[in-house]
Amino acid sequence: MRRCLPILLTILMLAACEAYDCTLNNHVGMYAAFDRDGTAVQINDTLTITSGKSGPTLLNRSVNTASLNLSLSYWQEADTLVLTVKGTDYLLRDTVWIKKSNLVHYESPDCPATLFHTIEEVRSTNEFIKSITVTRSSVNYETTTNLQIHLL
Amino acid sequence: MLLLLMCLAATSLRAQEQTEPQQAAPAETEVPKPEKAPLISGVAVSADLVGFIMKAMNAKFANMEVAARLNILDKYFPVAELGIGDCHREGAETGNTFDVTSPYMRFGLDYNFNKKHNGNRLFAIFRYAFSSFKYDFGNETFTDPIYGNDTPIPLRLDGQKATAQWLEFGLGVETKLWSFVRLGWSFRYKARVGLNAPDEGDPYFVPGFGRNDGSGWGGTFNLVFDVGKSAKKAKAKNKSNTEQVKTVSTK
Repeated sequence: MRRCLPILLTILMLAACEAYDCTLNNHVGMYAAFDRDGTAVQINDTLTITSGKSGPTLLNRSVNTASLNLSLSYWQEADTLVLTVKGTDYLLRDTVWIKKSNLVHYESPDCPATLFHTIEEVRSTNEFIKSITVTRSSVNYETTTNLQIHLL
Repeated sequence: MLLLLMCLAATSLRAQEQTEPQQAAPAETEVPKPEKAPLISGVAVSADLVGFIMKAMNAKFANMEVAARLNILDKYFPVAELGIGDCHREGAETGNTFDVTSPYMRFGLDYNFNKKHNGNRLFAIFRYAFSSFKYDFGNETFTDPIYGNDTPIPLRLDGQKATAQWLEFGLGVETKLWSFVRLGWSFRYKARVGLNAPDEGDPYFVPGFGRNDGSGWGGTFNLVFDVGKSAKKAKAKNKSNTEQVKTVSTK
């Protein structure tokens, strides 16, 4: 009986601890990078990105921007992003449409639930954007580039 | 708790063996015959009391199960266990809820190490188990933090289908309480060998297995009823004991 007691206490102590094991990097973002004729570039002027005309501001007055990390909407089937580049004496504006499917993702009742997305189609206007290539369609906890934005 | 009970059972088992009356030494010419149990020594049904008690106490989870087993030579015990796993869990700060109430089954064998047929048994346990179940995941205050303007859109994923398979290895003890009634304890290591779950996410709780993980520990506290041959034998033994006592008292 005396020999059992320490083992019993150890088991009870272990049983009392409960680990949640939630993913540490739990931000779901769509990552994008810029290039011109195959060479990585950055946008030196002020870049602002909003969701549609009256939606939330996703990126506000960023300068020397080489890559993007943008949140997509949870439930909309398509997101509209308006990219505005403001220079000293000019203003360029392009609109990007992202068609996607949404999938609820959960790990445990103790970890926040979120939505993963699969990018199905991307198109844009062409004021300063030449074209967009989808390099990874899954938008989840991974941080690798989803969209390659080719600039004019 | 189970370990403590197992220790107590083992101690009482040892004590019983020590306190058994010493039989008179046989005559030198007699060769003692080894004890031999019949091929089919009986059938037993049992219930794991822990799960029912947990359910009665409104615990967050409970595995309520009953079992049936065959006794072959008082050494090999093929077992079938059938149960219902029940779990309701709310996230501490997330507002998430998880609910499942589904059946599970286990098949396997108990091997009795005790060569004496004195009613006490020390088992090695092996089980193959599986469960095909549906569970609900939800969040009434689910909000899109960027696009949602803090307006919750309730999240309800009902009837998510999943299947799980696992193996169990462990030790158990069992002792006779009265006539054909027995008590048993078991302590088991569980190793998950398969899980099919929806793309949305894995279940938090697997019926019969417990909290969903690669492995886990579990135990049972069984009330066992011997039925069939062994029960009849026990009744007959009780009867003959009573008659012997009567004969002695009349003398």
